[in-house]
Amino acid sequence: MRNRKHIGVNLLFTVPLLFIFTTVVIIPFISGIYYSFFKWDGIPADPKVFVGLGNFAKTVSDTRFLTSAWHTVEFTIMAVILVNLFGLIFALIVTTKFPTVKATRTMLFMPNLIGGLILGYIWKFIFTDGFQILSDMTGLHHVFFDWLLKPQFGLYAMVIVFAWQMAGYTMIIYLAGIQALPNEILEASKVDGANSWQRLTKIICPLLMPSFTICLFLTLANAFNIYDINLSLTNGGPVNGTELFSMNIYNEIFGNSNYGYGQAKAVIFFIIVAVITLTQVSITKKREVEM
Amino acid sequence: MKPRKKHFIWMIVVCLSLSIVLAGCGTKGSSDGNSSKSSEPVKITIFQSKVEISKQLEQLAKIYTKQTGVQVDVWGTTGDSYAQQLQTKLASNQGPTIMSISPGTLPGSEADKLKSYLYDMSDQSYVKDIAPNMALKINGKVVGVPYDVEGFGLVYNKSLIDPKDVTDYDSFVNTLKQMKAKGINGLGLSQEAYFLIGHIINTPFAMQSNPQQFIQQLNEGKVTMSGNKTFQDFAKFMVAIRQYTSNPLKVTYDKEIGDFANGKDAMIHQGNWAYPMFSSYKLKFQMGMMPFPLDGNNKLAVGVSNNWAINKNASPAQIKAANDFLNWMFTSKTGQDYIVNKFKFIPAMTNIKASKLDPLSQQVLDASRSGQTIPWAFNDFPSNMVVNNLVQVAQQFFLTPSMTGQQFLKALDQAWQSGSGQ
Repeated sequence: MRNRKHIGVNLLFTVPLLFIFTTVVIIPFISGIYYSFFKWDGIPADPKVFVGLGNFAKTVSDTRFLTSAWHTVEFTIMAVILVNLFGLIFALIVTTKFPTVKATRTMLFMPNLIGGLILGYIWKFIFTDGFQILSDMTGLHHVFFDWLLKPQFGLYAMVIVFAWQMAGYTMIIYLAGIQALPNEILEASKVDGANSWQRLTKIICPLLMPSFTICLFLTLANAFNIYDINLSLTNGGPVNGTELFSMNIYNEIFGNSNYGYGQAKAVIFFIIVAVITLTQVSITKKREVEM
Repeated sequence: MKPRKKHFIWMIVVCLSLSIVLAGCGTKGSSDGNSSKSSEPVKITIFQSKVEISKQLEQLAKIYTKQTGVQVDVWGTTGDSYAQQLQTKLASNQGPTIMSISPGTLPGSEADKLKSYLYDMSDQSYVKDIAPNMALKINGKVVGVPYDVEGFGLVYNKSLIDPKDVTDYDSFVNTLKQMKAKGINGLGLSQEAYFLIGHIINTPFAMQSNPQQFIQQLNEGKVTMSGNKTFQDFAKFMVAIRQYTSNPLKVTYDKEIGDFANGKDAMIHQGNWAYPMFSSYKLKFQMGMMPFPLDGNNKLAVGVSNNWAINKNASPAQIKAANDFLNWMFTSKTGQDYIVNKFKFIPAMTNIKASKLDPLSQQVLDASRSGQTIPWAFNDFPSNMVVNNLVQVAQQFFLTPSMTGQQFLKALDQAWQSGSGQ
């Protein structure tokens, strides 16, 4: 029982963190579940009416909520594919023997250091004013129009900004994975006459599975929870065409002051995200290969 | 492995119980930091929503502290999300002592929602100076003192437009057509919720025989906009605006002001609050304000944008200090000077004289003195209705040229229903 000795130290390091985690995450989470069974407007002086599962039943016929859910799914699928594709491509590029690799790596990681809110405002300028100038210069009015005025394109714009922000981050994780690959296997495959495509698909990707697990989990959870870019780039508009899950919940609670109903949506949201991410992790975990 | 797992679970249990105990203690504490210890000097806080006056209000608070020794803290304003922030702060017992509340008292409006926090000011001396019918009253008690009087309508360029030519639907549309032929945008709106729909839709509401009753019936689903003649006429105006002017969704408030100042817009739907925005432009023309001519309407929309209110849950000493501060602001020379010259308000108190008004404010003041006004009906909308529900319909309307006026009204009805919680 070696760790008996370290109990004091262990406690010193874990208790403060656990304490903070319980106060700011676990307790609000539990009280949130509690409030989701009530009809309440968030004002302490006003009555809380117990409605049981009424709030949850209401979500089924709430078209604004359902469309926002569908948009979130659309957004997540596009975002996860784009982010991981670019992350992997960038990682492969910066592991080559190119002269400016270090600078490139820094540049690609940069967008991740800027907050989502600010990125959103910067890109808002690009999509509206920048595209206007581009369309005047090139005459390609079908490509360079104001993307944020069309719901579908507003969603694409959000995907682009999100990918811009996250691709650099996933690149770093893939990079760590690629650098940890044993060289002798790659050498051996070269000697056996595998071309670079075969090397990528048959050797590198299977061995990178642990990185895929992490990256997919991160992008899935992040894309589902997206709020900051949503707020600064489109603010849910036009016509709620880009109002995603988090924003819909926020507007329900603070806009329509249906605190209980908004909490019920949040609980549903939590369950959906948990199920999807856990499924993804278990699937990709199974596919990880042992060396 | 096993003992370690045990430790971990044990630690979580300890933490949970510890934090629950602590959280329980926290709520039993004093409502905000300073329980009435008589030894401590009283400190009051102000949280309000008008971004334009925040700096000046801080200066005023400093002057007051110098004169009386009472500490007055002014919190930074948060603009659009003010109402949400205020509610969160009040609900967590960290509310300000003095706050601002929108007028409008129908069920569902902001003042109605927060009424459990509003201190009854009826006995205070400054209340008697409030201009007639301007006080914010709930159940007959005065709970808010108006900031100022504001008005809006069509702000027009006098060198391009003669108000005699814009008196009803036909003349309005003709003017838009003429301007378009000249290469000038006839009427400018902008993408912000209130400047896109919130203010312009006030006209048909205000022209109902009893606007408050109409809004209440709308909340209850007893009437519809699509079935109301005034609204049908309003929709015709909107269709004309969409047809003959540039798309407002591409225009920000700043750009709208700039276009008007540079003569690119002949009219904008704005209020006297916008006048200071013109200070950075060299104006080559005179401007005026005229009514939005729906069904021959010839009155500007004049109302109160905001009220000073006091938090009922503050300590008695704080409430007294807050009353003293407000009283000083409304009655002392310094306070009145700030209200008129620094805040640039059209005062809503009978004991404060307006001075050196800009042309738009002067017109608003004249209108309110003559009584030739229509009310700000949107103050009685359910809270956040414009920002959360109506603006999306307006966006759709301006993005879909095929959407008819009637479809527009039907969509507004639908949005209203979902926003009023039916």
